[in-house]
Amino acid sequence: MVEPGAAGAGAPGGAGGGHDGAGGGQDEAGRGHDGAGRGRDGAGGGHDPGGAHHSRGGRFLSAVLPGLPQIMVGRMGAGSAALLTWTGMLWILVARGERVVAAARSGAWDDRLALATVVVGLLGAWLWSWRDVGRAGGEEEIGVSQWDLAVRAFARNRTAVAGLIVIGGLYGIALVTPLVAPHDPNEQLGLLTHRYLGLSAAHPLGTDHFARDVLSRLLYGARISLAIGFVAVGISVTIGTLVGAVAGYLGGIADSVLMRFVDMVISFPRLVLLITIIALFEPSIFLITAVLGLTLWPGTARIVRAEVLSLREREFVQAAVALGYSKRRIILKHLIPNALAPVIVAATLGIGNTIVLEAGLSFLGLGVQPPTPSWGTMVDDGRANLLGAWWLSTFPGLAIVFTVLSFNLVGDGLRDALDPRMRT
Amino acid sequence: MRRMVVLVVIAALGAACGGDRPAGAAASSDPFCQEVLPAVDAFMAEARDRYPTPDDERYGGTAVVGAGAELPFGMNAAVVQDYGSAQHHQFVNLMTLVDYDEQFDPRPYLAESWEVAPDTTSVTFHIRRDVFWHDGEPTDAHDVAFTYRTVTDPATGFPNSTYWDHYVKGPDGVEVVDDFTVVIRLRPHSEFLDAWRAVGIMPEHLLGDVAPETLRQHPFGTQCPVGNGPFVFVSHTPQQQWVFDANPAFPAALGGRPFLDRYVYRAIPDQTTLLTELLTENIDLYLQPTPDQAESIIENPDTELVRFLGRDYVFIAWNSRRPHLADARVRRAITMGTNREEIVEVIQRGYGTVANSTIPPFHWAFDPDPATAVAYDPEGARALLDEAGWRDRDGDGVRENADGAALSISIKYHPGNQRRQDMVGAMQAQLADVGIEVRQQVVEWNTLLGQIMDPETRDFDGFVMGLSVDFRLDDAGLFHSERSEEPLAWAGTSNRQIDRLLEELSRATDREAAMPLWAEYQKAIAREQPYTFFYFAERMSGVNERLQDVIMDARGEWVNIRNWYIDPAAR
Amino acid sequence: MTGYLVRRVLGAVPLVLGIATIVFFLVHLAPGDPTLYMLRPGMSTEVLERMRASLGLDRPLHVQYLKWLGAMLTGDFGYSYSHSRPVLDVLGGFLPNTLLLSGSALIVSFFLGIVIGTVQAVRQHSLLDSGASVVLLFFYSMPSFWLALMLILALSLFARNVWEWPIWFPASGMVSTGYEDLSFGARIRDRIAHLVLPTLSLALVLTAGVARYMRGSMLEVVRQDFVRTAHAKGLPERTVVFKHALRNALIPIVTLGGLYIPLLFSGAVFIEYIFAWPGMGRAIYDAILMRDYPLVVGGSFFFAAMVVAANLLADVLYAVVDPRIRHG
Repeated sequence: MVEPGAAGAGAPGGAGGGHDGAGGGQDEAGRGHDGAGRGRDGAGGGHDPGGAHHSRGGRFLSAVLPGLPQIMVGRMGAGSAALLTWTGMLWILVARGERVVAAARSGAWDDRLALATVVVGLLGAWLWSWRDVGRAGGEEEIGVSQWDLAVRAFARNRTAVAGLIVIGGLYGIALVTPLVAPHDPNEQLGLLTHRYLGLSAAHPLGTDHFARDVLSRLLYGARISLAIGFVAVGISVTIGTLVGAVAGYLGGIADSVLMRFVDMVISFPRLVLLITIIALFEPSIFLITAVLGLTLWPGTARIVRAEVLSLREREFVQAAVALGYSKRRIILKHLIPNALAPVIVAATLGIGNTIVLEAGLSFLGLGVQPPTPSWGTMVDDGRANLLGAWWLSTFPGLAIVFTVLSFNLVGDGLRDALDPRMRT
Repeated sequence: MRRMVVLVVIAALGAACGGDRPAGAAASSDPFCQEVLPAVDAFMAEARDRYPTPDDERYGGTAVVGAGAELPFGMNAAVVQDYGSAQHHQFVNLMTLVDYDEQFDPRPYLAESWEVAPDTTSVTFHIRRDVFWHDGEPTDAHDVAFTYRTVTDPATGFPNSTYWDHYVKGPDGVEVVDDFTVVIRLRPHSEFLDAWRAVGIMPEHLLGDVAPETLRQHPFGTQCPVGNGPFVFVSHTPQQQWVFDANPAFPAALGGRPFLDRYVYRAIPDQTTLLTELLTENIDLYLQPTPDQAESIIENPDTELVRFLGRDYVFIAWNSRRPHLADARVRRAITMGTNREEIVEVIQRGYGTVANSTIPPFHWAFDPDPATAVAYDPEGARALLDEAGWRDRDGDGVRENADGAALSISIKYHPGNQRRQDMVGAMQAQLADVGIEVRQQVVEWNTLLGQIMDPETRDFDGFVMGLSVDFRLDDAGLFHSERSEEPLAWAGTSNRQIDRLLEELSRATDREAAMPLWAEYQKAIAREQPYTFFYFAERMSGVNERLQDVIMDARGEWVNIRNWYIDPAAR
Repeated sequence: MTGYLVRRVLGAVPLVLGIATIVFFLVHLAPGDPTLYMLRPGMSTEVLERMRASLGLDRPLHVQYLKWLGAMLTGDFGYSYSHSRPVLDVLGGFLPNTLLLSGSALIVSFFLGIVIGTVQAVRQHSLLDSGASVVLLFFYSMPSFWLALMLILALSLFARNVWEWPIWFPASGMVSTGYEDLSFGARIRDRIAHLVLPTLSLALVLTAGVARYMRGSMLEVVRQDFVRTAHAKGLPERTVVFKHALRNALIPIVTLGGLYIPLLFSGAVFIEYIFAWPGMGRAIYDAILMRDYPLVVGGSFFFAAMVVAANLLADVLYAVVDPRIRHG
């Protein structure tokens, strides 16, 4: 039985933004889900072995518009992902041709990264669709792994898949931004003439108080915000998992001490810490990421500890002990990989959380240094003229909301997909 | 769960039962206040009987002013001089010996007359006899003497100690001749009455025994101030509001009680919230909206924008101790390369005037001669930099000197003021054009103060700041070479001509004689450019039209509060 | 049981003390000090030194700490520089306001969350279910200060001036001007009106969590035998849901309250700032900026104590409610 004693598994840890929580705590209830999973998407889900792909017709279609054949048989998720990638990358080549060429010539790493993404995206979408169409009506599946089950359960969850596509799209766009953004994000287009322009064809999202194009800043800001989210969560998950696993497995005094420490970090008034740290050092992106990561790990620790406590009594662990494996090996190679399910869920939710927290930090004046755009600083910049120039805060705000929403949907989907499966 | 609801309702009810003092008002537990406040209540009750409200429909009503900042030490005039608090000392709760008329010339207020000795070594004030503290005690010369001793005592920590630089400080500087006559000794210097416009007189009978070092922590300031001005303190709820009532015993010769029954000052930190409260008519006056918000206020049919050119200027201070900023030509080039007109136009939305020195354009000492100004001239800036030995030797767009060091300067500013950030951003782009690299650095407020004020380190190239000037201008603490170790000597200026001018100006008692000196001073500052002066900001207020007769000028927003009244139709 | 309790309480004391100590040293480490923001032209370093000395800031740090510790143990948390009052007075003034706001937000979010979660569980997989999830998640994903500003603009400014609704809400403060002249009933209405926007800003964000927790909990309960028995007995759906399932499903929710309390306190800083709500979060924030050390340390002490107490409460409640955990 799961040890709800650490039922604080509700990963608190919101500084400022004050969110989170519900994620981890759900575990207990989530596990009660019946095996049938969400099964929302009854119609059209699942594989269609053979049948609907007319081999040659399907192949031709796939060669021209990868993803379309899949959509036509109802596999919306995979199909639209492929199609969108394909058309998106093509558009870049066509509409931003000169930039692509310039990027190829310049040696800047982010230009190269963007190019690589375009190439990979094109090839990947095309090849996948080609192979997928070819595979239709082919292989039998012998035995279904836990992983497959999980993937399928996830795939049935429409909203989760939509969320995944959005996230994939975001990261993809973040990578190709140098090719896509209409203007340089820091370029002041003329203080006297271009300030606070509303929405127009030239500036689809308007300009800000510095005559900078909001759309471009939004795109570049995506990189910063997504990167901060990713890295901060990476840090917190790593630390949290280690601490939680060690505490859960070793038990006794080590457990008490570590959990005491976790309690202390949770109860610590984060505001004091944040402001003091930022007063001591400059608020660089690195610092913000580190601070965010270091304040979020306790939640993960608690979750992992709870998992490990229950796993500890299982036969495979006992076997490992009997075989004389060192504690370190058991923890690293046996416990942690099996405890990962709730961690993945918490991580996905955590990224969303971090992005919101970063916005909160900007509000306090502790965000990313100007002129670098990040969604959080953009929302805060717009605060000074909320009535007069509503577009300054609204679009980054919406971007944050939809991104975090997607992460949350994916996280939920993962939880639903993974938990009942891993229970056996 | 039901229980929780009940608990909350009970709590709300409990809190709802307030006394006479507004809800949430921190009922002071301090024994000093518990003695003082009932005396005030008693005297006010008696005064309301003795001086009934005249029959004029303008009397009555409550006006609410919303502003972003609290008044940190309240009415304790000896320890605080931030703008908001000082305004309340001068015009609301306390009285000053003199105040200024529309031409900024001194006229009697608490002092009904004064004489200056022929050699200007002393001034004799005659105190009005019809002014009473709000607890009934008469205001007299002893209060003035007490105030003087306190503010000139270094132990008190009076912030504007420059006021008294040329006064004889301490008990030796003041003599009480009789209950309503007091003599103050000084060394001849210019505009010596300005200090008495700024400092509110404090009650000796209440604070006379308090040790000066502990005055800062005394509950008088924020919990139970007792003044003698047109408004009586009623309550202060920390972080929320100050409430004042009209003083019926205010001398009839000075206008008698103010029209308003009650005046409330509310502290609301967020500017969007302030604007909303003004536009939804929850507050009557919104102090210092952002220039971008001014438009919404003007467009709204129920509100209008009252503006005046203020005494605050925004500037960037350059640390001339740093090698690349030591040459005045470099500093002049920086100013020449910055389009300050455009910045005022764009960032202040035109609500401001370009500044070239610490002297406000409306001040009598101001010299409009173009030689005192540094015009926007990028070509000239480039030429000047070339002449000073800074050229772009490696073609990267940034100039280097003969040793190869790049002309790269960092400008610091603190978060929370969008306009300053915008200024630096605009400057960055403009200076890049003339080959100077600007790096922006955000530093938390208190940390920034530490970095710039510490004479040992002066850790900055340049930083953005605003300062407000008094009517008596004295830049010695900023620019005099002998005072360059003081906290506010940021620029590290060491210029003989400026030193000499500063000394002469502080002694010049005659305005006519001083004017040519001021003109010379402004030209010297233009050449030295210790700061890049940006602009004198217009101060603005959004006023609901139900609040009438709100006149504001450089003396301050509250200068006319005695005459504010609520439109009877709108009550 | 009592042994468990006593042990946890004893454990909490050094925890809170430890936090206060760390905060003490941390905030003194930050550059700058309370005298700096009072600087004006002409002030010499001598005056500054005097001010620092009068505040006791010239002694070595560990001496200052010991002094603070000694005083604190006798209940004296020192004097706040920026408020000129004892720290306890200052905190005592702000704490009820924070509790009021956080309490209301808790109540609203729990009420909404429980209702929505139950409905979702009863109508699992329906459009209502997924629709509600998405809407709730939408609010959950918003930065709270942005939500607050949007609410102010919508329900205060636009509602009154643009759309001319009959009801609109004040954008700031706890009570209106002239509150003391209102009748008793009007006072209650006034307080509630001022509570609406800040509470919504806090609660909407939390409702999602509560609703999902409730949904999951209900789903689990609904599958249990006793519910099947109730169905088999032919009881109407309503009775089954409300009388039997709901009560049992509510049990784990109770612990959620303990989890949310620290979030409410820290998240409330933004709300307190925007709505000019005189609460503890904002007080501590201002105090940090002004380097008002006694207030920062005292405030953090109480904040930590409340969080620890809330966690303790959550654990105890859980232990009380779930007999499987009693082993402590």
